[in-house]
Amino acid sequence: MAALKTVVYLLVYPGLIFLFVYSTFAEWFDRKVYARLQNRMGPTHTGRFGLLQPIADFVKLLSKEDIVPDRADKKLFSALPVVGLAVVITAGLLLPVWYFDGSATAMVSFPGDIIILLYLLSVPTLICFLAAWSSTNVFSTIGGTRVLTMLFGYEVPLFMSVLSPAILANSWQLSDIAHFYQHKPLLLLPNLIGFVVALICVQAKLERTPFDIPHAETEIVGGTFTEYSGKKLGFFRLMTDIEMVVSSGLLATVFLGGFPGGLWLGLLNYVVKTLFIIFLLSAMRAMTSRIRVDQVVNFAWKYLAPLAVLQLLIVILVKGLLL
Amino acid sequence: MNDEQILEIINTRFAGRVRDVSHPHARRIFFAADPKDLPAVIAGLKEAVPGMWYIATISGVDLGETFEIVYHFGHDNGAVNIKTRVPKAAPHIESITSIIPGAVLYERELQDMFGMTIERIPDPRPLITPEDWPAGNFPLRKDWTFERVPEVIPGGKK
Amino acid sequence: MKFQIPIGPQHPALKEPISLRMTVEGEVIRDVDIRLGYNHRGLEKLAEQRNWTQNIYLTERICGICSHSHTTCYVQGVEKLMEIEPPRRGVYIRYLVSELERIHSHLLWLGIAGHEAGFDSFFMYTWRDREVVMDLLEMISGNRVHYAMNTIGGVRRDVDTALIQKILDGIKILRERSEFYFKIGANEPTFVGRLAGVGYLSKENALALCAVGPTARASGVARDVRKNDPHAFYDEMPFDLITADSCDVLGRTVVRIKELMESYKICEHLLKTLPSGDIAVKAPKKAKPNEFVSRYEAPRGENIHYIKSNGTDKPERLKVRAPTLANYPATIEMLRNGFIADIPLIFAAIDPCICCAERTVELVNARSGEESVVRFSDLRTLAAKRASNRTAKGNVPWPL
Repeated sequence: MAALKTVVYLLVYPGLIFLFVYSTFAEWFDRKVYARLQNRMGPTHTGRFGLLQPIADFVKLLSKEDIVPDRADKKLFSALPVVGLAVVITAGLLLPVWYFDGSATAMVSFPGDIIILLYLLSVPTLICFLAAWSSTNVFSTIGGTRVLTMLFGYEVPLFMSVLSPAILANSWQLSDIAHFYQHKPLLLLPNLIGFVVALICVQAKLERTPFDIPHAETEIVGGTFTEYSGKKLGFFRLMTDIEMVVSSGLLATVFLGGFPGGLWLGLLNYVVKTLFIIFLLSAMRAMTSRIRVDQVVNFAWKYLAPLAVLQLLIVILVKGLLL
Repeated sequence: MNDEQILEIINTRFAGRVRDVSHPHARRIFFAADPKDLPAVIAGLKEAVPGMWYIATISGVDLGETFEIVYHFGHDNGAVNIKTRVPKAAPHIESITSIIPGAVLYERELQDMFGMTIERIPDPRPLITPEDWPAGNFPLRKDWTFERVPEVIPGGKK
Repeated sequence: MKFQIPIGPQHPALKEPISLRMTVEGEVIRDVDIRLGYNHRGLEKLAEQRNWTQNIYLTERICGICSHSHTTCYVQGVEKLMEIEPPRRGVYIRYLVSELERIHSHLLWLGIAGHEAGFDSFFMYTWRDREVVMDLLEMISGNRVHYAMNTIGGVRRDVDTALIQKILDGIKILRERSEFYFKIGANEPTFVGRLAGVGYLSKENALALCAVGPTARASGVARDVRKNDPHAFYDEMPFDLITADSCDVLGRTVVRIKELMESYKICEHLLKTLPSGDIAVKAPKKAKPNEFVSRYEAPRGENIHYIKSNGTDKPERLKVRAPTLANYPATIEMLRNGFIADIPLIFAAIDPCICCAERTVELVNARSGEESVVRFSDLRTLAAKRASNRTAKGNVPWPL
């Protein structure tokens, strides 16, 4: 019975199917916001309000021809999309979205899982680089080097800013952090700077404008994903969408107080909070232009890292004074 | 500098080296020179007339037995056009890129389209015709005809 | 470690096929090799086999967005060859369409610059405003591109007072929006960060390599055919010659936005002082043996046509040199020691109209063009077709 329950939870909620449906919804929301900010309509045709558009895109990609370049390493080339998808779905299981068993509030929860979540979210970047490298294409190689160069910029501020509320809450466990802030909501305010820094870093991790250098369409054709087509490209795109949902889930847990309230209220909380963060990310995407990779690293180390350190100091001060 | 002043410079400074100086419309001056005098005339005009660093294009005209090459220069108040002729049997002329570097593309086009030879040109590759263009075909000559070679698609069905 | 990156002939950054082979070291470009000829249609040889009026049709199709400037340049030259003078009203309408085309082209370029820099919102906004101009041009001439307004001796269609009022309203809306773009273009930090210092072309290089148009004017070279060599009544128009001193892509953007404002001024002047009278005179079929050099300021720079007649109704020689070809040596210079990330921007900053740049002879170009070539004019016609299907979805108030 417990085994059956686990399988259902892995596959349906909060696992595979839930993440799939929710991430396609999040992609629809992102595209709609981006379009409306540009005086366009966005998806309108497929399904009511165009809600089925991302699913239609995914299904279309699954049905296209899958071409593997001659000189590419076939096993690595084909395994990477699946591995990437697996990694981000595993990361999604760590979020404290409501779980039927009243005791824990995440399917997998243990002290230190915030570190595991951050680590799991870094793996897709490495997978992008490996995908670029195994494509043996000039444009992909440049895309791959850009992905790693950006990694040197935003990882450190992201880690520091996400770990500051954890320090304030005195725990390394996501559900405990969420509980802490649910009982003391005023303590969310000292983490504001960290929130802004984390938002910018998440935008960089997801490779969206202004940080979409690695797959800049007008410069290097497709960047890391130039040679991918068909099912593999579909999986990569799904991986990016789920990564967006999981990162916003992480930010919502740590900075916006988690998802209290049982099944339905918790789900509503989850949807509202993650959509808020995705809205902020889309607005950032619509309002800026792409910056070069050297400018990204410059910006990250000159502004983001010092701000993250400042956030840490504020947290330590508050902890000393109030707790 | 207006047209009268330029005409005076041409007639006094380059007297004997230029012919057929004409001023048919406002701000347009035409005159002819020999190919051997051409670099000196161009360098002199560039120095004497303000704004004459600019070459607009170089036209080639096929007149049957000779090629007429027209250099179109622009200055601050109009255009000065210098004509020169080379025989079709020996179409050689010297490059003016040492005086005006921007003329290189137009000279490459003359080589490509008319089959002229430009001496001391910095970049002698053809400009327009593709790599597999059959040699000896100069499209802008009046007597050019072409027999189309049957298409071979590399790697395709015969 | 140096290796070669091919940009083109097919690449998302290029709207038309051209091959740039870059030798790069890391992210820095060391050398550039431009290969032309992919869009070659043999126009100059074709022109020798068509009569004067058929050649208007041919020169118009040299390019989609500077179509009117090519026909104006050609028709100006032929009118001087045949020694006929078009009536004042005809010339005013001709210049009105030219200035509207310049507005259309500069708004298009602003969108392209935004898109190449990754600033898609800017791209969407400027192209929405382009619709206003294209609607105006459609009201005047019946076509969104390839207006077919010119004929030897004048223009073919007239404008009436209702249309003049609509054009003035449209220009008012465009003017406020262009001022908004100027604010964005100069102040949005990510956008300026991409444009400033990129594609540096010093004034000496611009002079030595004979650059034309806004590319040269952004390096401080005060050369504009409308001011230096004004044809017909251009010397009566109230506008300034815009230059900038920053010699980079930001300077070129600023020059183009300011030229937009100047074009609005010219359009308003033309409309308010439009004289009455005929719009065309009858032109003879043959021209006496004569030659003329016709220069005109297209949106991209100086357009020069050299026309020679030999007494028949066909030209002896038509030589066309479009402005983009003159900017190629300058582009090579600008690309050296730049970053790969800046290639699309630098190349787009000269406003490449590659189909303009390649017209000379080649009756048999099919072998090099067998791969799928998407030409600018094809993209334009596709946009026009889609726009004509759009009206079924409900009424959109005009102007947008």
